[in-house]
Amino acid sequence: MLIKLALKSLMNRKGSVLLSLLAMTVSIFVLLGVEHIRHQAKESFSKTVSGVDLIVGARTGSLNLLLYSVFRIGAPTNNISWKTFKEIASGSNIKWAIPISLGDSHKGYRVLGTTEDYFRFFSYGKQHRLRFTQGSAFSQLFDVVLGSEVARQLGYRLGDELVLSHGLASTSFSLHDDRPFKVVGILAPTGTPVDQTLHVSLQGIEAIHIDWRQGVKIPNSTITREQLEKMRLEPKAITAFMLGLKSRMVTFRVQREINNYRQEPLLAILPGVALSELWQTMAILEKILLLVSALVFVAALLGLSAMLLASIRERSREIQLLRVIGAPPGMVFVLIEMEALLITIVSIISGAGILLLCLATTQDYLMSHFGLYIGKNIFSASSLYLAAAIVAASILAAAIPSAQAFRKSIQIES
Amino acid sequence: MAISLSHVRFNYPDHPDRPVLNIPSWIISPGEQVFVHGPSGGGKSTLLNLISGMLPASNGHISILGQRLDQMTSRQRDQFRAGHIGYVFQQFNLIPYLDAIDNICLANHFSRGEKKPSLHDEIKTILSTLNILSDDWHTPTGRLSIGQQQRIAIARALINRPQVLIADEPTSSLDQKNRDSFMTLLMSTATNHNMTLLFVSHDLSLSRYFSRVEPLSDINQIEFMS
Repeated sequence: MLIKLALKSLMNRKGSVLLSLLAMTVSIFVLLGVEHIRHQAKESFSKTVSGVDLIVGARTGSLNLLLYSVFRIGAPTNNISWKTFKEIASGSNIKWAIPISLGDSHKGYRVLGTTEDYFRFFSYGKQHRLRFTQGSAFSQLFDVVLGSEVARQLGYRLGDELVLSHGLASTSFSLHDDRPFKVVGILAPTGTPVDQTLHVSLQGIEAIHIDWRQGVKIPNSTITREQLEKMRLEPKAITAFMLGLKSRMVTFRVQREINNYRQEPLLAILPGVALSELWQTMAILEKILLLVSALVFVAALLGLSAMLLASIRERSREIQLLRVIGAPPGMVFVLIEMEALLITIVSIISGAGILLLCLATTQDYLMSHFGLYIGKNIFSASSLYLAAAIVAASILAAAIPSAQAFRKSIQIES
Repeated sequence: MAISLSHVRFNYPDHPDRPVLNIPSWIISPGEQVFVHGPSGGGKSTLLNLISGMLPASNGHISILGQRLDQMTSRQRDQFRAGHIGYVFQQFNLIPYLDAIDNICLANHFSRGEKKPSLHDEIKTILSTLNILSDDWHTPTGRLSIGQQQRIAIARALINRPQVLIADEPTSSLDQKNRDSFMTLLMSTATNHNMTLLFVSHDLSLSRYFSRVEPLSDINQIEFMS
């Protein structure tokens, strides 16, 4: 009955209630959104790579190396010679080494040249290996393995042929259209940048560039496919490589050896350290965002409180009447709290609804542009705590108008 | 006795030296229909607030239906009022955004009485006997005429079958025609339900409906101090 009374009373004041509801919805949407993205981004970051002990690239900043090798963001500063890679990879402490060659793309998705070891050793999340939903790793020169998002977005199936383009722009005019690749495998979704990547063999990368000079195709190439397949294609340079060590104990020693490598300026980073470094640079931003959204929420809450307080003034007769028909003053207090609570709960539901809608529409964009995988499941423990805190805060804020109503209900006009 | 007051004094807490009411003794028997008249500002509302338990008396005994109001807590008085006393005001008897049925339900909600499953049927019976058209039952009462609202107010006051019905200037906002029909309805309802009726007004012309008529100045023997 009391809920019905609160509900009807709110309906009776549609205009001001609707505005408060909107303000609350927007603020709760922002708060829930920031909280959700904060968590998801952190999780997504920390799970992009695991089981890799060192990442090695040309000398640059550690963040830059991490960004282009793992997140496929930005451009590598320089290449590493194949000779250097061979030498380091054959070191006594090295268990496995995965070379990475970047620089080509397909419809905006980056192409990664690598070896079959990539599918055997690279892992993400909690030591998950890459899995194939269809097909298998590349074995032929012009085979390509697609990340799940690439296959889904572009609608490729096994056996389809596609053409890589030179450079990273999504609308490139220099296409490797003389040498199409055939889809031989599609990976299972990982929620990491792997989903956005096309994987080909290093030889494949080499083959499509064989008669190119300075990023331009030489016309009237005469080398046939058959000739290419017979050639012994060995890359002259790669972009970076990942190392797995036989023992964790030697990580720092190997890192130092690589950093002091005489023949070529190299940089080796520990992915875990670099990831948390990267996260650190965002932590302050993340905290400020949360603070701002909390302040927005407080402002909306104060607005709600002011709206209710103003309504108490107009409703003194109503409160009086409730008292006469036997409602104790505590009930009047509860009634006003109930109105605030109803507004808050409806706002939480609509705020969460809008958030879900936004996530559903921007998920692909965030993934492809920032390498961030933001899950759609916003009902985590922390967001439930947040919702509980929102409810508690609104009960607290509504205590002001409720107390005013309470006071009004115990003083009788004579 | 339906209502019995003895040695009742009342003053508002902010003015301890200015008593508003001083009633040595006043008694109403069960089923009596009493008309109290007096000028505004004479303490009529205060008297009704004391009898209904909205205000606690500063001194003296107030007993309603044999129960001592002055010995109850405020929560107990609220419950007692909800269960035993019907109230009709000059205006604003109803929550304007609720319809007639919800208004009456609400009054029933606050009384600690039995929550009867037949509540809606009972409300409909009462509304019909008070000649309220069924078209108006589901309209927010704020949209009905004052005459209709006052009838619904009687229905609201009746739902908990109170033994005492208090009417505080209920006809002041009605025109002549509506006033006559309202009074007829009120008197017959009080008689039919064998309720004690305490009716307060400044309009002496209404006294013809009552067997017992008293000016407030006879009840309230206040000596004004300078």
